[in-house]
Amino acid sequence: MGQPRVFLVDDHELIRSGIRAELAGSVDLCGEADEVDAGAQMILERTPDVVLLDVHMPDGGGLEVLRRVHHVNPAICFLALSVSDAAEDVIAIVRAGARGYVTKNISGADLIDAVYRVAAGDAVFSPRLAGFVLDAFAESDPGLAALSSDPELDQLTPRERQVLRLIARGYAYKDIGAELEISVKTVESHVSSVLRKLQLSNRHQLTHWASERRLS
Amino acid sequence: MIDPGRLDRPTPPTGDVPGAVEREVILGVAQPPLQRARRGAILGGVCAGLAVRLGVRERTVRILFALGVLFYGAGLLLYVGVWLFLTRSGEAASIGDRLSKKRRALLVAVWSSVIVIALLIATRSLALQGTGGFVWTILLSAIGLLFVWRGASPDERTHIEAILDAAPVVGGAKARGTKAVALRVIPGVVLAGIGLDILAHIGGIWGGAVPALVGAMILLGGLLILLAPWWLQNVRDLTRERRERVRMEERTALIAHVHDSVLQTLTLIERAAGSEADVVRLARSQERELRRWLFDPDALNATHRATETLASMLAAIQTDVERDYATPVELVTVGDCPVDDDVLALVGAAREACVNAAKWSGAPRVAIYAEVEATSVSVFVRDTGRGFDLDTVADDRQGIKLSIRDRVTQHGGTATIRTSTGSGTEVQLVLARPAT
Repeated sequence: MGQPRVFLVDDHELIRSGIRAELAGSVDLCGEADEVDAGAQMILERTPDVVLLDVHMPDGGGLEVLRRVHHVNPAICFLALSVSDAAEDVIAIVRAGARGYVTKNISGADLIDAVYRVAAGDAVFSPRLAGFVLDAFAESDPGLAALSSDPELDQLTPRERQVLRLIARGYAYKDIGAELEISVKTVESHVSSVLRKLQLSNRHQLTHWASERRLS
Repeated sequence: MIDPGRLDRPTPPTGDVPGAVEREVILGVAQPPLQRARRGAILGGVCAGLAVRLGVRERTVRILFALGVLFYGAGLLLYVGVWLFLTRSGEAASIGDRLSKKRRALLVAVWSSVIVIALLIATRSLALQGTGGFVWTILLSAIGLLFVWRGASPDERTHIEAILDAAPVVGGAKARGTKAVALRVIPGVVLAGIGLDILAHIGGIWGGAVPALVGAMILLGGLLILLAPWWLQNVRDLTRERRERVRMEERTALIAHVHDSVLQTLTLIERAAGSEADVVRLARSQERELRRWLFDPDALNATHRATETLASMLAAIQTDVERDYATPVELVTVGDCPVDDDVLALVGAAREACVNAAKWSGAPRVAIYAEVEATSVSVFVRDTGRGFDLDTVADDRQGIKLSIRDRVTQHGGTATIRTSTGSGTEVQLVLARPAT
């Protein structure tokens, strides 16, 4: 695979130039936009592999861009960018279809790594997001588990839990593989599976965020 | 009775009404305060104290008390009463005063006496009618002595223990000579034998109850005398061990605190040596914190407990380390719990680990992960910096041993440090928690 084609949406010129500088040479930057309408339109025209999407923008923010693009062309992957790591932002945007989430203080190398990962169809979890997922999928509510319509979606496997814990502790995928004695590929598949559950599960903790953001 | 030796003291200046003042002065100066003596004390220092006050010889007072015992034990009762309510020389409060402030000790003593009195009423109605007043006074004195033991100051307690050690029958745990052993074994065996004999010769229905009780009590007395030294020794060992452990724990907490706060701040000041404002700020905040810790530690802990949770305290660590060391700290918490002593120790160790990582590792960021599960609380502090060799850490670098490991293990937790040169460090702190 060559360099992934990346489109950048952020309403702050300073941030865009910073990210441009970080990514230059490592990815194929095919365009950028600073507002929702233009962004959604250009993305659908240029069909990049990955969209780097600012969560907080006027007129509905990154969420609105994601929605407009996603139901037309679900093949385009989104990696959300935000200054905050607050659960409501994270969960809303991931459930709307983003494949990953990084904060803006991420280092250049880590950002490039995340872009490649998302382009390859994997998920990118920040430690904070991993922590939130562990919280939301806490084991200790048998009542809810019994109510759940789809237990497979509403619970994490022990292995997935282990992987998330290590992500939350700040381990990179290759360190997680070494720690659990599994391949990086297996780690990635566990994370993707967690992402799927995060997007599709109807667990109370998740729908709670969604309904608060009028998403359901 | 005026002690002639004291009259030559200088008299204070006289006032407007010389006669009246002079009389008071003589009274006030001539009589030493009424208190239990330390010097010359055999038991509670009651006789010696009275002798000093009255200006007579100690022996005279002792003989009077001994004679008093003949009047239905009144001397004994009086002695114990004075022991309880007279302040010992050099101490601020009498045993009675002290007991009234120590709720627990008072409760124990009160309940023991209630039980003893109930026993006495039961036995009196059965058997001891004839012995009359003696039983009551001896019993009341015994209860009084129980109060004395519970309420005595640590210093006086040592004194009483020494008396018990010297007593031939009860003590003897230290005395190993033939004589001491004989003094203990012979009365013990004789009493136990008499008790058994009475128990063996019980006959009839009502004829049986009284001897049965008396026999059982005598047997019990014999066994007590036989086993007393062993029991006393045990109690004493336990007390000593507990005292030792408490002292060790206090020392560890003290060292950990001084290390965390004062030594860390000094390092910070060293680094900020160029900037006067920073040095002043650091010194001020350290001074405030140290003062609070020294003079109002309970309030400090109480505020922690009332308002803080594990997550909020870890967030405070994040803020402090990011401010003081300009190193980003990534904090993830799953679940949360209120702060108790154990969690406080865990948080303290986590802070130390985090500061160490920010200070020494050279890593661009530090990650803290905390998870509260049903039966455990764990905190992981990780950096991807240069790491170190655990074996070569100098002995005077107390951070790892005292501030991290000892602190957590003392509260029943475990601290694991995974590190090697070049591959970063992770401190894993796990604390078991009672299931709620």
